[in-house]
Amino acid sequence: MNEIRALYRHRQLIAALTARDLKARYRGSLLGYFWSLANPLLLLGVYTLVFTRFFPQQVVRPYPLFLFAGILPWTFFSAAVLESTTSISSNAGLIKKVMFPAEALPLVVVLSHLVHFALAIPILLVAMVIFMLLGQASMSVTILLVPVIMLVQTVFVAGIAMTVSSASVLFRDLRDIITNLMNLGFFITPIIYLIDKIDSRLLRAVLRLNPMTPFVIGYQRILFFGDLPSLSDTLLMLAYAFVSIAMGFFVFDRLRDALAEAI
Amino acid sequence: MSEPAIAISNLNKSYRLVGTRSQFATLKSALLKRDLQLAPEASVPALKDISFVVDRGEAFGIIGRNGSGKSTMLKIISGILKPTSGTVNVHGRIAALIELGAGFHPEITGRENVYINGIMLGLSRREIDARFDRIIEFAGIGEFLDQPVKTYSSGMYVRLGFAVAVHVDPDILLIDEVLSVGDEEFSQKCVAKIQEMKYRGVTLIFVTHQLDQVRNLCDRALWLDHGEAEAIGDPRRVVDAYLQQVSGVRQAPPPVEEEPKPEAAKSEEAPEEERWGSGEVILRRVALTDDKGRELVALGAGTPVTIEIDVEVRAAQTDFVFGIGMYHADGTCVYGTNTDLEGLVPEKLDANGRVRFVMPSLDLVAGAYRIDAAVHTRNGRAFDYRRGCIRFVVGSRVHDTGVYRPKHSWKFDGGIDVRAIDTLTKNVPAPIAEAIRETESQKPPKRR
Repeated sequence: MNEIRALYRHRQLIAALTARDLKARYRGSLLGYFWSLANPLLLLGVYTLVFTRFFPQQVVRPYPLFLFAGILPWTFFSAAVLESTTSISSNAGLIKKVMFPAEALPLVVVLSHLVHFALAIPILLVAMVIFMLLGQASMSVTILLVPVIMLVQTVFVAGIAMTVSSASVLFRDLRDIITNLMNLGFFITPIIYLIDKIDSRLLRAVLRLNPMTPFVIGYQRILFFGDLPSLSDTLLMLAYAFVSIAMGFFVFDRLRDALAEAI
Repeated sequence: MSEPAIAISNLNKSYRLVGTRSQFATLKSALLKRDLQLAPEASVPALKDISFVVDRGEAFGIIGRNGSGKSTMLKIISGILKPTSGTVNVHGRIAALIELGAGFHPEITGRENVYINGIMLGLSRREIDARFDRIIEFAGIGEFLDQPVKTYSSGMYVRLGFAVAVHVDPDILLIDEVLSVGDEEFSQKCVAKIQEMKYRGVTLIFVTHQLDQVRNLCDRALWLDHGEAEAIGDPRRVVDAYLQQVSGVRQAPPPVEEEPKPEAAKSEEAPEEERWGSGEVILRRVALTDDKGRELVALGAGTPVTIEIDVEVRAAQTDFVFGIGMYHADGTCVYGTNTDLEGLVPEKLDANGRVRFVMPSLDLVAGAYRIDAAVHTRNGRAFDYRRGCIRFVVGSRVHDTGVYRPKHSWKFDGGIDVRAIDTLTKNVPAPIAEAIRETESQKPPKRR
């Protein structure tokens, strides 16, 4: 509880730093907004090509829209967690020279990636409208649940970001481990395929152990299928978010005192 | 209100030696045992068993060689580092001038950086709005305000950083060597601002190598040597002890005769004389005399007086300065000078002699005063420093205020007139009134 109160006290700082991050990123580059979308769009193009032309037996149609609904929350998660591994060491000046609430740094990373995510949603909506006009898709009111699932996911991502940001200061290898885990994670999360199409029961169970699985399935259901997430997925999302943020606060609190010296 | 601004007791700080313990082991023990205690062989002590208290409104200097633990001390006070053991209690809002402009982002404008830096230092957006014009005026960066900070010169960068930090209105200001950056004009501006803050009751902690600043700005000083508190107390005395040690590394001085106990300086209001120095030259006798050579302890305003100093030379010197300081009982410096400041170049000091500081008239307001006399080298290392070696009272018929009484008279013209009464019986204590009568009777009764 105290930690949350401390974060509330620093809300202006976190907001100001997030705004600074976004401004600094978009200033001096003409296509700033485009660049934050470039990576998911590129992935979208490649996988659409692969699965509609090379292996056209995929049954999910329109495939690009299905892919889009899964790639955006995955990109938010992976980019925020990866960048948070260096969020503290790249701001060494602040930690060493100013009395500064270090937990603000991973949270600023998470929030600025959340903004990128939110800015990509209009593009998704445009794509949905196009497919609707082509008669290949429909839009459902479940889309109004997007802010709710984003909030739960943000809590989950923030907990992971706090954990890896502080731990990677003391244990530098963590950054490389995470980079590789993220590459693996993309494929063990049902983003480019439907989990129900997998034959092996065991494999499906293993995939469900991946905490990002219920989130991605949840986004796909409310955005693509126009359906509510299943009860078990909803409970899993809430549980992962809670466990993650609790772990984040615990780890950060334990490591906080060592940070200024270890950087 | 009586609780001190900063109270530190039995503080120890050790740094981990990199490489003696694997990073993963550190992570594991921090996570599992919450244990950051370090084995002695795996750590270097930076501060050893330091205790001191800084009162509100006090200016406290920390001096010492490089690596003696000064900056570590400051970082622990500011909360950036945690002590290995011991307690640190700080009351009030802290602003730390450890690195000016730390946290400025190069890509965004000076204006935006002022807001972010202010929020980092604990201000709200509204509080920054209220201070914004003063900050910009102090920084003096003009039209660069709306340019990205990466286009700033290093001087502008530092000015902006300093401007934000001092306008946070801290209760405690920590200053690490920052007064030595920037040009002459800016460092004067900084010193003036810091003096203003001290006047307003802000507690100041200095870390500096500029010993003059410690002598002039600080009320007390701490000398750290290899992480230990070597001396704490009166800044002149501590600085001098430090200079003695630093010069002793190069040339062993003759054994010090009247080595002061630095700890004794803690009892600040002691009425006795304090004395320190290396003893090659001794101020054998210091006395306040009238124009006939008689020693005085009480005098009337405007009397001619001389400070007589009998000097004993134990080792001939070529570099020497005689200095005089006059202080009111409340500590206000009335006047201070020395032979170096007045362009008197040392020629010889190879045998005993007498120095006289002659004042045709000492125009002080009634009160108790003390005089410091010293002989030291030009860089400030004392041969003999006698603080408060003379104490005297000035009596007056009039109960005017201040320390300096210019020669003056009142003139009335037109429809304004006044009537004079004898003020001596009205508001002057009897012993002083007696002293005044005595000194006045010695003077030829001369008006105007």
